Amino acid sequence: MAGREMEVAHLPRSSDPPSGELAALVKRLVDPFRQGAAAEQHVPTGFYTDTTVCIGCKACEVACKEWNLLPADGLRWTGNSYDNTETLSATSWRHVKFVEQFSVVEDPKVSSAGFSLERLLNEPKAGRWLMMSDVCKHCVAAPCQQACPTGAIIHNEFENVFIQPDICNGCSSCVAACPFGVITRSSLDGHSHKCTLCYDRQRDGLIPACAKACPTQSIQFGPIDELRERARARVRDLHQRGVTSAYLYGDTPTANYSRLNSFYLLVDRPSVYGLPDDPVNPTIHMKGDYLRAIASGFAAIVVLLAVLWR
Amino acid sequence: MRTGDALTVAIPGPRGYAQREVTQAPAWRGLVAWDLLFNGMTTGLFLVAAISELAAPQVFTPVAKIAYGIALIVLLIDLACLVLDLGDPLRFHHMLRVFKLGSPMSVGTWCLTAYSVPLAAAAAISALPGGWTHLDGVRRLAVIIGLLPALGSAVYKGVLLSTNAQPGWKDARWLGGYLTSAAIMLGSAQMLVLSSVMGHERATAMLRPALALLLIMNLISLGLLVADVRATLLRTYTRRRMYGVGILSLGVGVLLPLGLLLGGSTSLFVVATAACIALASLAVRFAIIRLNNLGSVAS
Repeated sequence: MAGREMEVAHLPRSSDPPSGELAALVKRLVDPFRQGAAAEQHVPTGFYTDTTVCIGCKACEVACKEWNLLPADGLRWTGNSYDNTETLSATSWRHVKFVEQFSVVEDPKVSSAGFSLERLLNEPKAGRWLMMSDVCKHCVAAPCQQACPTGAIIHNEFENVFIQPDICNGCSSCVAACPFGVITRSSLDGHSHKCTLCYDRQRDGLIPACAKACPTQSIQFGPIDELRERARARVRDLHQRGVTSAYLYGDTPTANYSRLNSFYLLVDRPSVYGLPDDPVNPTIHMKGDYLRAIASGFAAIVVLLAVLWR
Repeated sequence: MRTGDALTVAIPGPRGYAQREVTQAPAWRGLVAWDLLFNGMTTGLFLVAAISELAAPQVFTPVAKIAYGIALIVLLIDLACLVLDLGDPLRFHHMLRVFKLGSPMSVGTWCLTAYSVPLAAAAAISALPGGWTHLDGVRRLAVIIGLLPALGSAVYKGVLLSTNAQPGWKDARWLGGYLTSAAIMLGSAQMLVLSSVMGHERATAMLRPALALLLIMNLISLGLLVADVRATLLRTYTRRRMYGVGILSLGVGVLLPLGLLLGGSTSLFVVATAACIALASLAVRFAIIRLNNLGSVAS
C-alpha cells in the first residue's frame, strides 16, 4: 500500500503575488517545501470498464480532452483500425483501442490474386470487434508513485493516483516505472501528465467527464467496492449467457502486482488489448538489486585493499 | 482498387496491440549515458582516493589531495547532466522535497547531496597552501564521512534503471553490480593516471596490479549483465552492432588496457590505458541506454 503524503491542494494560498525578482525566486525555491494539512479521506473511487459494451465512439476521449483542456494530437492514419491516438500519453488520458478479430489472408499471393469482394461477402462471418477505453489504472500500489523522487505523485483523498503539476520536475521516473505505459512527459511543459480521475470534478461532487459522456455505460465510476461487486455480478451474468470467456482484469491482486482501482472486464487475453498479461511491480527486485550492487562494490574495494596492503 | 474485373481489397499491415511494447520509453538519451560515466568517475575516484589514502597515507596522500578536486569537478559536470536531463530543470530542487527509500532516484539525490558536502570540504582543504597542515585531520574526517554516501551514489544508478518496467533494463539484475564495480575500476584508472603523471612511482606500482584485477572483475559483472539482458540485446541490436560493442568493450576496454598495463609503466602507457577504459565504458553505457528504446512516444 502506498504511503500517504501531504495534499498540496489544501495549502493555504499566499495572499499576494511576490513583488520583485528576489521575492519571486525565494517563493519558487520555498513553496515546493511547504506542507499543508492532510486532506480528509473519502471513500476510494475508481473506474470499472466493461469492454463488452464499448462501441468505440470515442466520446470518452473527446470529453476528457475538453474537460482537461488537453491539446489535440493531430489526426494520424495509423493503419490500426479506427485507432488514431495509438497510445495513452501526456496529452491523451483516454485511449480507445480497436481490435479486429476477423479472418486475415496471410499469404500475399492469395491476397493479391484470390481475395475479392465477392469472396469477402460470402465468407463465414465469425469475427468480432473488441473495443476498450484505456486509462490510468490508478494502481493501489502504484510503481509511478513509488518511483517519484519529488513526491509529486500521490494517492489523493479518493485513493486515486494523482500527479501534482506544480511539483513534478519531469524526471521521467514515473514514465519508466509504469508497466502499463500510461504516463509520458509532455513536450509542452516538460512535466508528466496522466488521468487525474477528474479530481477537480470529484471534489465538486461530479463524476469524471469520460464516465459522464460514455453512452453505453462501458465506463462506470463510483466507490471502488461497489464497482467490484457490480463487475463480478456482470461476469456471472455473462457466464450464464454463454460468454464464458468474460473475466475481470485487475480486480484482485496477483503475486506480482496490486489491485487496480481502474479495472476491466475483458473477453480475451490481456495482451490482445495491449495490457500486460502478468504485470510486475518493478520494485519487487529492488532489495536484491541493491544487495548485488553493494556486494559488487565491496568486492571491488576488498580487491583494491588486498593489493594495497600486500 | 480495381484490377481487371475483380475488386480486390488491400490487406492492412500488422494490426492489433499484442505485438507492441506496452511500456513507454522515458526520454533518457545520450545525456544519461554521460551521466552514468561521470557518476562512476567521480564516485570511483573519491572512493579509491579515500581508501588508498586511509590504507597507505605515506604513499597516496599527495595524489589523493589532487584527486578530491578532480572528483569535485567531475561531480559538478555530472550534476549538470542530471539537471539538464529534467523536463523542467528549474525545478531540480524539488528532488529534495521528500526522501523515499522506495525511489532509487530519491535515494540517489540524497546520496549525491550528502556526498558533495564532504567532497567539497576535502577538495577545498586539499587546495589550501602547505602551511595549513593542521587541517589535515578535518580533511581526513570529511573523507571518512564521504565514504558511505559516495558508495550510495555509485550504487543507486544501476538500481534506478533495473527497477523499472522498461524492456531490457527490467531484466538487468546485475546492472547495479556492474556499474558499481565499474566505478571502482574507473576510479583506480584515474588514480593511476594521477600517480603516474605526478611522478609517484610507488603509488603507480601499487595501483597497476589493482587496476588489472578490477578490470577482470568488471568483465565478470559485465558478463552477468549481458546474460541478464541477452534476449533484449538480440531484439535491439543487429548482430554486427552487437559484435561492434562487444569488441569495443572486451578488446578496447579490457584486453588492450591489460596489455598496456603489462607492456609499460610510462605515463603515456598509463594515460592510454585509462583512455581505453573510459572509451569502452562510455560505449557500454550508450548500449545500456539504448536497450529500452524499442518504441518511444513523444507527446
